[in-house]
Parts: sequence; C-alpha cells; structure tokens
Amino acid sequence: MALTLQQIRADVADALGEDPADVPDDENLVDLGLDSIRIMSLIGRWRREHAVETAFVDLAEHPSIESWAAVLGVTS
Amino acid sequence: MTTAPAAVPEVRSLPLTAAQSGMWYAQRLDPDSPAQNTAECLEIRGPLAPVLFAEALHRTVGETDALRVRIEETPDGPRQFAIDIEPPGHGFPLHAADLRDQGDPSAVAYAWMRDDLARPLDLATGPLFRHALFQVGDAHWLWYQRVHHIVLDGFGYALVARRAAEVYRALAAGGDPGPSPFGRLGALVTEDAAYRASEACDADRAHWRAAVADRPEVPGLAGRTALPQRTFLRQTARIDTGLTGRIEELAGEVRATWPEVLMATQALYVSRATGSFGVVLGVPMMGRMGSAALRIPGMVMNVVPLRLHVTPATTFAELTRQVVLGIRAARRHQRYRYEDIRRDLGLLGEGRALVGPLVNVMPFDYGPDFAGAPTEAHNLSAGPVEDLTVNVYDRGDGAGLRIDHDGNPALYGQTELAAHQERFLELLGRIADSDPHLPLAAHSLPTAAERTAVVEEFNRTARPLPPTTLIGPIEAQAARTPDAPALVDGGQTLSYAQLDGRANRLARYLVSRGVGPGTVVALALPRSAGLVVALLAVLKAGGAYLPLDPDYPAQRLRYMTEDAAPVCAVTDVPGRLPDTGLPQIALEGLDLSGHPGLTPPRALTPQHPAYVIYTSGSTGKPKGVVVPHAAIDNRLRWMQDAYPLGAGDRVLQKTPSGFDVSVWEFFWPLREGATLVLAAPGGHKDPAYLARLIREQAVTTCHFVPSMLQVFLAEPDAARCTGLRRVFCSGEALARETAQEFARLLPDVPLHNLYGPTEAAVDVTYHACRPGDAGPVPIGRPVWNTRLYVLDPALAPCPPGIAGELYLAGGQLATGYLGRPALTATRFVADLYGPPGTRMYRTGDLARWTADGEIEYLGRTDHQVKLRGLRIELGEIEAALAADPAVSAACALVREDRPGDQRLVGYVTAADGQDPDPEALRRRLATALPDHMVPGAFVVLDGFPLSPNGKLDRAALPVPESTAGEGRVPRSHQEETLARLFAEVLGLPSVGVDDAFFDLGGTSLLAARLVTRVRAALGTDLTIGTVFQAPTPAALATALGAGDGGADDALGVLLPLRAHGDRTPLFVLHPAGGISWCYSGLLARLGPRQPVHGLQARGLARDEELPTTMEEMAADYAAQIRRVQPDGPYRLLGWSVGGVLAHTVAVLLQEAGARVELLALLDAYPSDQWRDQAVPDETDALTALLRMAGFERGGELTRADVLATLQREGSALAGLSGRTLSAAVDIVINNARLMRAHDHRVFDGDVLFFTAAAPRAEDWLTPGAWQPYVRGTLQRHDIDCLHPQMTQAPHLDTIAARLAARLEELNG
Repeated sequence: MALTLQQIRADVADALGEDPADVPDDENLVDLGLDSIRIMSLIGRWRREHAVETAFVDLAEHPSIESWAAVLGVTS
Repeated sequence: MTTAPAAVPEVRSLPLTAAQSGMWYAQRLDPDSPAQNTAECLEIRGPLAPVLFAEALHRTVGETDALRVRIEETPDGPRQFAIDIEPPGHGFPLHAADLRDQGDPSAVAYAWMRDDLARPLDLATGPLFRHALFQVGDAHWLWYQRVHHIVLDGFGYALVARRAAEVYRALAAGGDPGPSPFGRLGALVTEDAAYRASEACDADRAHWRAAVADRPEVPGLAGRTALPQRTFLRQTARIDTGLTGRIEELAGEVRATWPEVLMATQALYVSRATGSFGVVLGVPMMGRMGSAALRIPGMVMNVVPLRLHVTPATTFAELTRQVVLGIRAARRHQRYRYEDIRRDLGLLGEGRALVGPLVNVMPFDYGPDFAGAPTEAHNLSAGPVEDLTVNVYDRGDGAGLRIDHDGNPALYGQTELAAHQERFLELLGRIADSDPHLPLAAHSLPTAAERTAVVEEFNRTARPLPPTTLIGPIEAQAARTPDAPALVDGGQTLSYAQLDGRANRLARYLVSRGVGPGTVVALALPRSAGLVVALLAVLKAGGAYLPLDPDYPAQRLRYMTEDAAPVCAVTDVPGRLPDTGLPQIALEGLDLSGHPGLTPPRALTPQHPAYVIYTSGSTGKPKGVVVPHAAIDNRLRWMQDAYPLGAGDRVLQKTPSGFDVSVWEFFWPLREGATLVLAAPGGHKDPAYLARLIREQAVTTCHFVPSMLQVFLAEPDAARCTGLRRVFCSGEALARETAQEFARLLPDVPLHNLYGPTEAAVDVTYHACRPGDAGPVPIGRPVWNTRLYVLDPALAPCPPGIAGELYLAGGQLATGYLGRPALTATRFVADLYGPPGTRMYRTGDLARWTADGEIEYLGRTDHQVKLRGLRIELGEIEAALAADPAVSAACALVREDRPGDQRLVGYVTAADGQDPDPEALRRRLATALPDHMVPGAFVVLDGFPLSPNGKLDRAALPVPESTAGEGRVPRSHQEETLARLFAEVLGLPSVGVDDAFFDLGGTSLLAARLVTRVRAALGTDLTIGTVFQAPTPAALATALGAGDGGADDALGVLLPLRAHGDRTPLFVLHPAGGISWCYSGLLARLGPRQPVHGLQARGLARDEELPTTMEEMAADYAAQIRRVQPDGPYRLLGWSVGGVLAHTVAVLLQEAGARVELLALLDAYPSDQWRDQAVPDETDALTALLRMAGFERGGELTRADVLATLQREGSALAGLSGRTLSAAVDIVINNARLMRAHDHRVFDGDVLFFTAAAPRAEDWLTPGAWQPYVRGTLQRHDIDCLHPQMTQAPHLDTIAARLAARLEELNG
C-alpha cells in the first residue's frame, strides 16, 4: 500500500503521542517532541509497511510533514 | 593509487563555536589531561584491503575539515587553523599492524589503544585525531579512531565511519566514491555565531535560568561533587534482546520510546538513592535536528538538564510522561550551552553541580559496511565524566543494547559502579515486568540479595532474655556481694548492703507518699551518693524517675514538672526547685529510721516505665521520653555480654542524669558487682580533674562524648590513664582523627563507638574502633533484639552504600512521648519489616549500611543538631527567640566556620520600632533555655536571605562579627608567639596580648587545639586548665614563664626557645642586636621534636662588660652550648652577625675535637667583606635594630622614633625597656667593631647558605667570600627577599623547609 500524506500525519502523530489533528503539516516537528529515535522508528515502520526507503538525515534535516511528503515522493 | 582529495578553497582560520570553547577552556585548565580524548573501535569481520582502507580513510579525512585543524590562542581568543594532512605512508596518522603472530592479537591491540588513549593531545599542534588498523585474524580487523572531543562528537563519528566505508566500497569496486556528502566546518561556526547573536539565545538563557534556579541541591548518587578527573571508570553490561523487547513493549504501552523508559528508570533510581523527590538528569542531545549540521562531522552535541519530580505515589507511566514532556520542552532550548547555564548560575568550579547522572542514549544506526564485511562498534571513551554517565548504545546489530556506567573516579569506586549498574538493570527488569500504572512505591533499589542482607542478615540479633527489670538484678547483686564496694563518692565508700539498705528505706518512704509502678518521681539532686540512693529508691518503689537538672532555668523546670506530673520530687536540700505545688522531699534532714532497710513489695513488670528523660522538641517545647524496664534491661544485658564487667571494674559516673548515657553509668556496674565512681558535680567538664580521678580511683570504664574526648586527649595526663580497660563514645559523630589520637595515646585501651537516641534505651548500635582503620568511624551493628532499617522516601530498604533514614525496631524502643499520643504516632510507626503489630522508630538520622553490615552515620534529615553531644532542636531556640518582644522573626544555626569548631548562632530581625540588643536577648533566653541551647552569638539582620524559591537560605546567613586585635603590643617572644597562635586557632587576623581567648569565640575544643600548638611552638607543658586560668596571651605567657624559666630569662645568654624534644638541639646565634627572638618562627616549622636554643648577647639582661673580641664572645657561647649539650654533634645556625658567630663557634668546637654536623648561615658574610666599611654609628645601630625586628628603616631619627615604629608594628622588641634598648644599640655597635677585627679560621665541613637574593645597596656582599673559610661545599639557596625579611613568612617557610629536610637527613 502506498504511503499517503494522511498516513504520514497519522504515523507521526502516533510517534509523538499526539492527535493527528494537532499536527499541522508545516509545524516544526522537533517542537512537538520529534527526536532521532522517533525518526528511526518511522523510517523502520515505512520500510516495513510501505516499502519506502529513506535516510535518517533526509528526514531530520527538514522535520515537517510537508517536507517529508516531498522527500518521500508523496503528493497527496 | 594515492590521490589527493580535490583541492577545495577553504578559510585558513575560524573562531571556535561555543561548544568548542567550553572544551578548550577545560583543556587549558589541565593541558596534560587526556580526559577529552574520545575513541571508538570498529571490529570488522571479513576480508579487508589495508591499502584501500588507508586510502579511503585519507580521502574521508580530506572531506572532513573539522578534523583537520589545530587550535591556538590568538589575541582574538582561541581559533582553529586548518592543517595539511599527509597521505598514508607519508605522515598520515594511521598506525597499521599485523598482530596475527601474537599470542592474543586482540589483547595486544586493545593494550595499544588504551595506551594511546591515555596520551594527551596538544591542541596547538594537531592533528587532533589518530587512527590504527590492526589485523588480529585472517579476516578480522580492528579499526581504532581516537579524536579530541573538541572537533568531533558521537554523531560525527558515525558520519565519518560510514563515509569511510562508502569510499572504501567504491574504491574496492574500482569506482568513484562520488562527491563528499559533508558540509563544512565554517557552516557550523556561522550557524553558532548567528544563534549566539539571536533573540532566541536570550530567550533560551532566560528559560534555563528560571527552569533550574531552585533545583535540588545534591543531584548525584555520590552525595558530593568533584571536578572531572583525567580518567574515568567504566562498568559495561549488555541488555539482552529479551529485556530490550520488553522495554520497547512497555514504552509502547506508555506512548514513549525505550530511551525515555531508561531515563525514567534512572530518575527513579536517583530519587531513591539520594532520598530526594527532586531529580535532575543530564540529557546529551545531538543538536542537529532541522540543521545543516546533520551533514557535518564536528562537535555540536550539548547537554540539557531534565528536572523530574519523583514521589512514591507517582506511577511509572506518569514519570515516563514527565520525561517525554520534559525533553520536548528542553529540546526547544537545546542550543543554549550547558556550560553557559552553569556559568549563568555561578556554578563553575568544584562543589556546585547542575545535574546528576547523564543518560546518554546513542541510537545511531552505526554499522558501516566495508564491502560486505560485518562490523561491530565499541566505544572506548565518550569524554570526561563529571559525575556518572550512563551511555546506552543501540548499534542496530540485533544484539540488544550495550550499557556503560562511566564514573568519575573521584566519586565512585569500581565496585560501587558495578553495584549501581547491577541494581539499575535489576530495577529495569522489574519495571519492564510490572504494571506501569502502579505507584513507584512498589519498586525499590536493592537487588534480591541485597534486600535479604539489609533486612534479615544484618539484623539477626534475636536473643531470648528473662523478663527482668532495671532494678531487679541490682537487688540480686546486693544480696550476692553485700560487702563489696558499690559506690565511691569523694572520700565516702558505700558497700552494696549499705547502698541497698539506704535505698530501701527511702523507697518505703516513697511508697508511703504514693509512689508505685506507673508513677513518676522527679529527682533534682547534684551528682552524689544521695542521687544514686534516690535513683534506686524510686525504682525499688516501682516508680519511674524523671531527672531534673537543678541548674536549668526555673521556667523550664516548671514546664517539665507540669508536663510530666510527677507524684513528688526528691531533692538534696529544701527549695532546690521552684514552688509549683508539687510535693518536694528534701533528703537533708529527712528521718527514715522508721522504715526498714528491706526491699519493698511492688507489682512491677518489665513493661512499666523505668525513667522519663526530656529531650529538645522541634515545636518549641521539650518532650518526655518514657522508657520501659524491658528496654533498658535488654540494653544492659547486651552491654554486659559485649563488654563483661567484673568485681574489679570501676565505672566512672560523670554524665549528668538528664542525659541517657548516665543510665548505663549508674546501673550497669551495680548489676554486675563492680564499683561506681562518682565524679564531683561539674567535674565532667574538667579534663585535668577527670584524668586525675581516673588514675587515683583506678577507673576501668568510662564514657566520653567525642568532642569531650578530644579535649581530654589534649590533657597531658590522659596518656597516663592506662588503668582504663574500655572507653565508650556516643552522643555525636566520632571523628576518625579523635579515634586515632586515642589509639596513639592509650594504645592498649579499646575504644567503642555506640549510637542510639533516647527513644531507644540509650544505644542500639556498637562498633569497636581499630587503630588501622580509615574513613568515617561506623556506628556499627545492632545490639540484641534490635533491628535497624535504612529506608528511602518510599520506606523501601536502601542497599549498602546508599544513604537513607535510619529506623530502629525491636525490644529497646521507648513506650513513646509522655502525654503526646499524636507525636508518638508520627515517630513510632508500624514496622513494615518486622512481626505484625511491632513498631519502628524514625530517628531523623541519615545513615547507610556498609557492605559487611555496619551502619555509618551521615547527619540529620532535619534541623535537629547536636552540639558537643547534646541534642538541640533549633526550632525550640527559634521559638524562644521569636517570643522576645523585640524580635519579629528568628533563626538559629550551628555554624562551623572553622573546621571542628561548632557554635550556635541566633539570627533575628527587629520587631516594628524595636532594636534588639544581643546582650538582652542572651539574658532573656537564658531564663527559658538550658545553657547549652543559648546561642553564643546573636546577629540582628535587616531581613533574612532567601533562596530563589523564597525559602530561607541558611547558607547565606552571615558569619557573626568579632572584634579583636587591638590593644597593647607583645612584650616578649612568648607573648608574640602566643598572640599569633591565638589568632591562628581562632581564625582571626590578629589578637592583642590582652584579648581573652573565650571572649573571641574560643571554645574548649579550640582551647585543646591551642594547647597542642603552644606545646609544639614553645615546647612547654601546659593544660587546658592553664588556658582557662590565663586566657590572654599576656597572662598565658606569664603562667608559662612561671613554670618554665622566668620571663627575665628572655634576655639571658641562653634562651630556650624550645627546651624539650628528642632530636639533637639546634643552636641559633643572635644577629647584631644581640636578641634571638627573631628565630621563634622556626619553632612551629621545625616541629615539636626539635629543641631550639638561642644564644644572646651579654649586657642585655643586666649591666655587664661587653666582649672585646669575637673569639671571646664565641668561646663564651661555645661554653653555653656545651652546658646544654656536652658532646657533639652540634647544629648551628645564624643570621647576619649571627652567621659570623656561628662560623666562629663551629671552628672553636671543631678545634676542641667536637663534631659539627650542621652550619647554616642566613645571609651572613665573613669579616673580610666588612673590614673596610665604616663602623656603624648610633643611626646605623638603630637601622640594625629595626632590621632585627624585620623592618627597613624609614624616617625614624631617634631611639624614641624607632621605639614608636616597633610599637606600631606590634613587634616583640617594642616591650624592651629603655635600658635594654640602649644596651642593644651599644651591642650593635660593639658587634660591628668586633666583626671587622675578626680573622676567620677554616671550618671543616659543608655550609648551608641562604642568600637574601633581592637586589640591595650592598651589592658587594657575596657568599663566595666564605670559600677560603669553608673546607666543604657552600650549598647556596637564593631566597627572593631582602635581608631583614629572612626571618619572616613566607621566606622563613622556604628556609625552614630546606633546613628541616637537612635536619631530617641528619636524623637518619
């Protein structure tokens, strides 16, 4: 199943312990508690569940949902 | 094959980032420290081409400009300069070795690494990294990287390693590794500078300042802090995949990550181990999120404080949530440097920690791939360790987690570190297996084995005993040995039968007055046979005794008698107590002849109260502790078993009856057929009296409060109390130094340290001091039928080594506080670890178990203090102070501004319109409180200092001022020495000769110290009693002079500066003025075993002919010297003219066949050098006189001017009479004349020579002029001072140190 913007948002919210509605696409996720271990768990999750390969640095460099969508090639 | 990395234009020098600056300053503090070396070792299992590897490494380093720097201080501060790195084989710092032929290749490799890691790096030269590649098997390699932390952090290591592997793979495949993925060091510097100039930085500073201002004081496990050392200790363990999985599961359950679970566990551990609900962990952060630094290998990481509140009622889920939210909040301010937070709070330097343990989780997906060979990374050093750092590595290799406990070796030993790690891991396992929604009270620190030890094994004290009372065994003993001596009171001795008979008669009378089991009888008698009779009588009647000190203020006596509601009071004479309507029975004139001397019948059980003793109460009122017979009977039976008393033993009774130590003193000997020896009333404060009494009365057993023991040991006769068989200490912490001093003076007498509160029948622990032991003296193991618990704030047991509050349980507990059920219920609580229905007493004492089951006392958990063994609740003093109408608020404190010198200080603020007068406060307090609770100093403040969170900041209360140092100047060298010693001991800048020791804050403890110093400096015998009788330097000098040569002798030809000592004496010869007092500074510096005798000029003490030649003078002195020491070898020293004399005396002694083993000259020059100089006139003589006193001459013209200067400067010479001063001037002139006419002969030996090396007018003086007159060598030492300064500190320190070393050699 392809990764969607909605799924990214849901997974990020889950990793942060927040409600998806409380995670705006342009928010700096670091301010919401994103850390390296959570990024790595997301990378692992997306690899397992959506066969998406990405590098830690690519996500950590611009930690927001909209940037990640671009990095991960997700458009909608 | 070797290709230089693409030439990239680069800035040649950059400033340091803030992160680097902190490390640069740390390194500069200790340039030779290797502490900031970090290192990793990557194990590569597979084929590897070393040449390709070296090439890959070289290219990677070429891409990493942060590594290729050296750091040097410039006028603009430290900067990093780019350096060139040579290719492999041409200087590239890569050590390659094939170790396959070694027995244990890996061991050899790791030894090499450890050695390399211990080498400090020179930041100014670089390179700041080094590599090594070891082949330890055919397909087994070890890649070692060591980098100074200032250029690379842990994340940076991972970047470098992975890029190196990437390049290697490309080279191995014959391809191109592609462009460097790394960003530049310049970008880090720019980003850092931008941040530091930003508003965000200001906001972060404000955030941290507010966030940690009121943090807990002792955040670390060691309970203290220390600077990071050059090395660290490491204990390594693995968390297996099973436990890792369970931790991850738990993390999911509480919506957190596994590192957060580890941090929460560590917070719980720290909270319990420190006994504090407030915990501050340090959390290292990589600091690269959302930053270009993600692609830059460099030093970026930071540490942020994480404050947590851990209570027993908190659940683990809640604690983990605190961690998650705390880190989230901290992350927003993570760019602000840890060092800057500390600096903002004024915490730089030792002793002020910001955070406790660091939890450093490194989850980096590390494993670089060297063309398919599997790798495993091992950290070897993660940098300096401030306190404790828990490094957790997830190498993503499926082998679980590696956990390193790194400890500062100044704070932790390897065993301690291992114990912390083992407990942490067991705790982690228990938490992983528990419901995270349970309160944390369910968890405790000890491992299962530790728990069994501290709760069960250390407390195996059960001992069945017969149900007896305090008095029963005494009556049985009286029946067994009626004629044995029971009691000695001065000249009076009572046999057991006599004592028993008298007590029985009084007991029967007391019964007739209504005394019986369960009733209380007040006793107000001074220490006497009558007191002992009364004590026994009350017990025989079945009653409990209440000791009242007749010296207490009436107000307090009234309170105690009303509170305890005794049936009656027994006194020695009528009117001893204030009239409160209480029936008073005065023994004086009481006719008991109508009562038979037989034991009265009574229905007394072991549960009935035996005595009621009042202790200070925190709420402002003292409280009566009710102790039942069973409790004290247990205590005395244990004591007899532990330290058997026999018929020949004589026990000293000196503790006032109001303190519970007196209970065993009174009753133990009488239960065992021994003899009770009563000290005179008040005698317990007089060490000389006690020493005499102990010897004269052949006392075998006695007790001292440790501070009094210290005073006693300073008494010269203490060492002669060799009839003692055992000495007990209790009442306050026994210092190891005191125990060692005791062992030194009384080596054959065992010293026992006991501990217990009044609430547990005197003592509950015991420890025998051993002379060889070091560290704090333990209070020891539990006595019979007694259990000790050291509990954390959740009332869970603390493992050995971890401090907690001491609880007591078992047979010795008091019944409770008289008439205070609520207070009793708060201090005597249900025993959680004992049989159902039993109680434990909460001592308020901090303690910890040692590994072998002894308790160490660490202090109080509250404001109760002990002052010289007496228990004091500061709250009670504060309540009494605040009750004064002139006072609005009050605080009391025991200060220890000088080590070992505790004094009670009261601080007050004035009530509206009032001006509190310290003297009036003291008087009013003395009417309400016993003497020992009346502060020695009062300070009136405008307001109390407050901590940031608004609490009273006790540490900021000022030291009370004292005034001293004015007044008359010293008259003699003894007065001068004594005034100086007074000042040293009292910690004052100066003390006048008429200032009284005790007025200046002196205590008996300080007096003991003074006595020791005076003995050392003057070599005279004196006692503390002398200090009491003669408390000023002037009076003491007189007192000493009376016993050891008169004061007139201070001007005699022979001046015994220190007459006694077992070493060969040192003779010191006077300078021009003829007086040798200037050498008194040598005394303390050469130690008490070195006798020192001064030679002084004829004509000073009385009118007599002055010598006519130097030979004549020297011959006179040689004769004087032989009077003191008939035979050689001789030791001589002289300053100035004294040096010329010393040389002459030495020659004379040698010519007479004696050996001279030391000739020391202090800036003295032979006659030849003076011959052509004019003989001094009166003016020159006055100059010389001033020099003798250590001054350069200024505008002084006449003898009167000179005298005025001497007086103003407080010189001992100022006390000279006009006659003596005139004589001294004549002597100066005469000596100058004789010296010019003198012809030196040759001294056969070496000369120790001290030159006053500062530039001077007489530049023609040279030590070399001695050469013709010295057969041996002239050993020269230059002292950076002028001639007159030689006998003054600090120059005399240098001279004395050389001299002492030489004397030590001669002593062999």
